[in-house]
Amino acid sequence: MIWKRQIPILIVTIVGLLTLFGWFIDEPTVESFVNDDATQWYDILASFAIFLGALNLMKMQINKIIKKKPGWIYSIIAILGFIFAITAGFFIKGVEGVEWGAHVTTDGTLFKWMFDFVFTPLSATMFSLLAFFVASAAYRSFRIRNFEASLLLVSGIIIMIGRVPVGGIISSWFVMYILVLALGIGLNIRFKNKMITLAVVGGGILAVTTAGMLSGWPLDQPSIFYLPVLQDWIYFYPNVAGTRAIMIGIGLGIFATSIRYILGIEKSYIGE
Amino acid sequence: MSSTMIFGAWISVFLTFGIFSYLYKDNPFYKFAEHLFVGVSAGYWTSIFFWTQIQPNLFGRLWPKTEYTDNLWYGIYKGLSFFSSTIFPVGGIDKGHALQMIYLIPLALGIMMLLSLIPKVNWFARWCIGYTVGMAAGLRAYGYLNSNVIAQIKASAFKFGNFDQPFFSLSGDSYFNSLVLLVGTISGLLYFYFSKSHTGLFGKISRVGIFFLMISFGASFGFAVMGRISLLIGRFVDLIKYSNQDYNYATLWILPVLILVLAFSAYKDKAKNKPIVNEK
Amino acid sequence: MKTITDLILKMGKTDRRWIFLIIALVTLLPLFFPIGLPIRATEQTRVVYEAIEQLPPNSKVLLSVEYSPATKPENHPMTISVMRHLFRNKHKVYITCLWPDGQFMAQDVINMVAVDEFNLTYGEDYVFLGFRPGNEAVIKGIVSNIRKLYTVDVYQTLVDEIPMMDGINKFTDFDFLFSSSSGFPGTIEWVQYAADPTGVPMSSGVTSIQVNEVMPYVQSGQMKGVLAGMPGAAEYEALIGIKGDATSGMDAQSIAHIVIVLFIFLGNAAFFIERKRSKKY
Repeated sequence: MIWKRQIPILIVTIVGLLTLFGWFIDEPTVESFVNDDATQWYDILASFAIFLGALNLMKMQINKIIKKKPGWIYSIIAILGFIFAITAGFFIKGVEGVEWGAHVTTDGTLFKWMFDFVFTPLSATMFSLLAFFVASAAYRSFRIRNFEASLLLVSGIIIMIGRVPVGGIISSWFVMYILVLALGIGLNIRFKNKMITLAVVGGGILAVTTAGMLSGWPLDQPSIFYLPVLQDWIYFYPNVAGTRAIMIGIGLGIFATSIRYILGIEKSYIGE
Repeated sequence: MSSTMIFGAWISVFLTFGIFSYLYKDNPFYKFAEHLFVGVSAGYWTSIFFWTQIQPNLFGRLWPKTEYTDNLWYGIYKGLSFFSSTIFPVGGIDKGHALQMIYLIPLALGIMMLLSLIPKVNWFARWCIGYTVGMAAGLRAYGYLNSNVIAQIKASAFKFGNFDQPFFSLSGDSYFNSLVLLVGTISGLLYFYFSKSHTGLFGKISRVGIFFLMISFGASFGFAVMGRISLLIGRFVDLIKYSNQDYNYATLWILPVLILVLAFSAYKDKAKNKPIVNEK
Repeated sequence: MKTITDLILKMGKTDRRWIFLIIALVTLLPLFFPIGLPIRATEQTRVVYEAIEQLPPNSKVLLSVEYSPATKPENHPMTISVMRHLFRNKHKVYITCLWPDGQFMAQDVINMVAVDEFNLTYGEDYVFLGFRPGNEAVIKGIVSNIRKLYTVDVYQTLVDEIPMMDGINKFTDFDFLFSSSSGFPGTIEWVQYAADPTGVPMSSGVTSIQVNEVMPYVQSGQMKGVLAGMPGAAEYEALIGIKGDATSGMDAQSIAHIVIVLFIFLGNAAFFIERKRSKKY
């Protein structure tokens, strides 16, 4: 029991305290160990974790083939892909005069070919699939049900349009006209009075047109209605405020959780 | 263009369209590409991590070339070299390290981690996990506290002292912008304080916090859309590149063939699902 | 009016595959028929540009590449532009990677810019240190003792034998850091474990998805500006005066965004019409 429970908890506590106080201790041996060797060991163990993940994956695929589970034929493809990658990594360089180790980055090797024509297209295409799903989700699910949802939608739209070149060619006067119309729709829903709506919309359009004619219709003035400038402000101030609140909360949570791990209060890594 | 490049381009286009075919429906082309990705990724990462870390930094410190001698320790190395001269070249590993026997500890911990594949001895991995958890906890406790908490609180503080700043400005510092940051950060943080019920004044402040959080989420959504569309553009640029004569019009051949196969499969599915009408 | 509302309602229930097809077309067509929309650099891109422009001559700059081919369209153009800017201003560039795939991406940029364009000498103008696994532990290692972490460069040459590495022992020996990042580990870890504790100035280029996470660091001054995704890369290309892949993608990006916004409006119009009808009946 001591090997399975107490020793791992002791390791976490000792290593955690050493790493934490290593930020503040000035003693050369401790500093050297914490900053150099301890981090090297962490790197090495991270690599072993990758090997474990790969071996576990292959174990699962082989299991699927042996037990002929649904889709077992595709597991053969997965294993063949793994064998091909390992062959390119450890057995066949494909080019002379390149050292083992450097072959993983050198042009012309089988490993580089695999990276360029198999790994890269698969990885990049998987990510780009999400573009379609995001558009579909925005169309089917993004609804203005309340004020908060409207805020989310409006800030999202301003960022999407203001951030790209097309936002720079949309005049601030166009935005003002849209706002006047939106105000009219809002008033109509609220008061259901055609006269009030007509007065506000008509007056608004007249005011905007007069101001535009007097000022010569500058593209980016008044700047508060120019999408790129408005987008910059939203992105740098209210957006940062909200993100910062989340960040501070997460930071405090991580600090608390780290201390819990170091003091042995949190033991989820041993399954408790 | 060499034949390996052309062959590679055809493979790349086939795999790209295989993944994209999922947009129509789940099909064997997609499943093939997906499983290939799984296998190749596992092998790729194993190779990279081995050659950039394990071989130079672990084995290179246990059997450095600079301290190669005819003793028992290097006798073990000669045995390993017999099995794989690729990983253990003759004469030791030349990566500029000195012999550091203390690196037997991470080697042992690493092997213990691999033992988690065997159910009876998988508890060995806990020692290794303990080391990584302790290390990560110690690193992150200070890092997050300093950069994510203290520095952010400092940045949210109202800049009273800067009298040169205007009251209102859409770009650059201003009293209004500082106030927005301060109010937004505090109200956003108060929203996440669940030890007190969100009623009365506290409730009103936390509601203001929700507004700022919604603006952040909206901005995140806008950026997420932007990011995904950018990645899609990247794929299309590659497909366009592979559609020219240099690559034997790979895209222009593979796309119609794939469409025809999927259309035929859809037609067959439709015919199979057609209700059978009983003749009287 | 009823015909229009019925049509909007019908469109609200469209099979999503038609939406996929429209998105594919609006993204593809501008790549064949470019519009040439003008690109306006935002404030944060200018800050990055000025931070690099104002570096003293022969500055030692650490360029960290941590992105994979998956985010190449966003990160690659900004890495290329920043490297062009650094070499144009004759700075010494040290390239490192926190991601394994970053090594390939970095090699690609080096071949394109350092070798083909500027014809620079390896070991005197730039050094490619390569990838090391370990996430933030790698950054800590670079901060404390880079030579213990990198005994050899990516081509397996001993670091002690590279002329440019003279005087480079730890992170504070660098004058500037630029991180081209798309996730973990990346910009945030560089801020937390390197730039903030040591005070070495840094900038970063990130994917659009990551922008919101790093904006608080930019606003607080822990980072000098940020290049936000492909638009940020296009803006940087405009500032250095050399158009690249990011600029050519901006027309498609703009049209796709407009179409998605129209989809959102259409979806909401259908929602309101349906809600009004269900209240009526």
